[in-house]
Amino acid sequence: MGVVRRRSKVALVFRYVLVGIILFWALFMIYWGVVTSLKPPAETFTVTGLSVPFVQFRPTLENWRTELSVRESRMALLNSVIVAIFATLIAMALGVPAGYALARFKFRRIRNRDLTIWYLSQRVLPPVVVVIPFFLIMRTLRLLDTRLALILVNATFTLPFAVVITRQAFQELPVELEEAAAVDGCSEFTAFWKIALPLAAPTIVAVVAICVAFTWNEFLFALSLTSLRAKTFPVYLAGAEDTRGVQFWFMATRAILALGLPVVLAVAIQKYIVRGLTFGAVKG
Amino acid sequence: MRRKRIKYFFLFPSIFWVLAFTIFPLVYSLSLTFFRVRLGKPARFVGLANFARILSDYKMWHSLRITLVYVAVTVTLQVILGLLIALLFHQEMRGKSLFRALLILPIFCTPVAVGYLGLTVFYEEGGPINSILMSLFGTKIPWLSNPFWAWMAILLLDIWQWTPFCFLVILAGLQSLPEEIYDAAYLDSSSEWEIFRKITFPMVQPVIVIVLLLRLIESFKIFDVVYSLTGGGPGTSTEVYSLFTYRTGLKFFDFGYASVLGYLLLAMVSVAVNIFFRRIREVYG
Repeated sequence: MGVVRRRSKVALVFRYVLVGIILFWALFMIYWGVVTSLKPPAETFTVTGLSVPFVQFRPTLENWRTELSVRESRMALLNSVIVAIFATLIAMALGVPAGYALARFKFRRIRNRDLTIWYLSQRVLPPVVVVIPFFLIMRTLRLLDTRLALILVNATFTLPFAVVITRQAFQELPVELEEAAAVDGCSEFTAFWKIALPLAAPTIVAVVAICVAFTWNEFLFALSLTSLRAKTFPVYLAGAEDTRGVQFWFMATRAILALGLPVVLAVAIQKYIVRGLTFGAVKG
Repeated sequence: MRRKRIKYFFLFPSIFWVLAFTIFPLVYSLSLTFFRVRLGKPARFVGLANFARILSDYKMWHSLRITLVYVAVTVTLQVILGLLIALLFHQEMRGKSLFRALLILPIFCTPVAVGYLGLTVFYEEGGPINSILMSLFGTKIPWLSNPFWAWMAILLLDIWQWTPFCFLVILAGLQSLPEEIYDAAYLDSSSEWEIFRKITFPMVQPVIVIVLLLRLIESFKIFDVVYSLTGGGPGTSTEVYSLFTYRTGLKFFDFGYASVLGYLLLAMVSVAVNIFFRRIREVYG
């Protein structure tokens, strides 16, 4: 008995050590970015090892203040916010009703399943395949370097999330409530708007967060379709190197500014991430 | 399932949207493949000449080869590591939900930002990794100036970002397995390895297939991290397929050829996805 217990204790310690190493690995990059952004520029390369703030150097918000005082930087943040909000609104406005239709009605000529897969196939398409036609179309429409161009593109590529994930959420709602409403003389649209939609609200919030995060992170289209005024934050970040050399303190500040919002969103909707990112194929 | 007219009202706007913003650009792109299109010059019909160029374009073959190697290596490693970490977490452990919440942080990180953070972490003179290596082994790694190590840096970043995703999904799969099977297996006093091989793995395998498929699709798209970390360099050693296509089209404005390159990528991804098609239909049945 004693031998078994001792072995399991060793195993337990070993388990926690492993988990510790994994967590260190997973968080180190973010930690390093935050720490570098808090260092005074002069100490970026002189403070070594883990660069523990307060112990090895005195943290300062100077880099953040400088970064946020640059007009270009604030402009890029604003562009990112606007594009994310409007692209998500369009994707939801088009996608949620479609998800509802696929969950509640039967389509005959093209089956529901095939329609769902058709929406999904959008995510299979590598963006670089359509970046050239998009560039030429936007040039013809005189939409290059506008937020509108990015809103249209991002709405398109986040639409599958809205359709497929809400479809599953509506499928899991009991249909009886809507049927009862229909008996009471409620129109189909009212049943959707007043009954199904509020019941699916948690999933819808999660899908909104996913659409915002994906639009926020999108880089290839933003890089290709903007040049000056409509630059989103990732594109602005990508320009940093050329203009300022290896000024790591700014680079780290911008990187953390860029990934802050999506990381916070990820934490907020963590219960829905598995379901969301696997399009409902795995229930988390 | 009811049958009402209103269903078209719900569905059609999104269908028209997708037709306008995906199918139309794809058709447009297909028509471009037959032309020599340059900025500022009239398009000239060249038949299949753009397709023929692929055969002798050694740069394209280089990009294709490194991209395929990258996809194979990262997807395999991410799924294996994700499975191992999921198994580690699929035991009783204090603080598990907190650890899990911390582990998923990399997933949503802006890939371009990850690339730039990588630049600071892999910095050769005094970056944290090299300074640790220097103090431990008295040597440092030429992360971004040597083609092999530049690849390693990209692979490490990609594995860093996406192993947590594989972990999270596989863990969800493990947690949905019924407990009773294990009770019976433990009564049979099978070894841990045997339980894994004969029970756990076969049961969680459908979930692993999904993870594999999703990672495969996303990996082919790799662009952001390479663009920001190495810019395809040193030389063109890490110029992955999307980056090569992007440059052909939007740096050298060779729209016709870039469209051919795009279609080739689409064809490859479609073949890869089709292997899984039966499984996809089952999931959404």
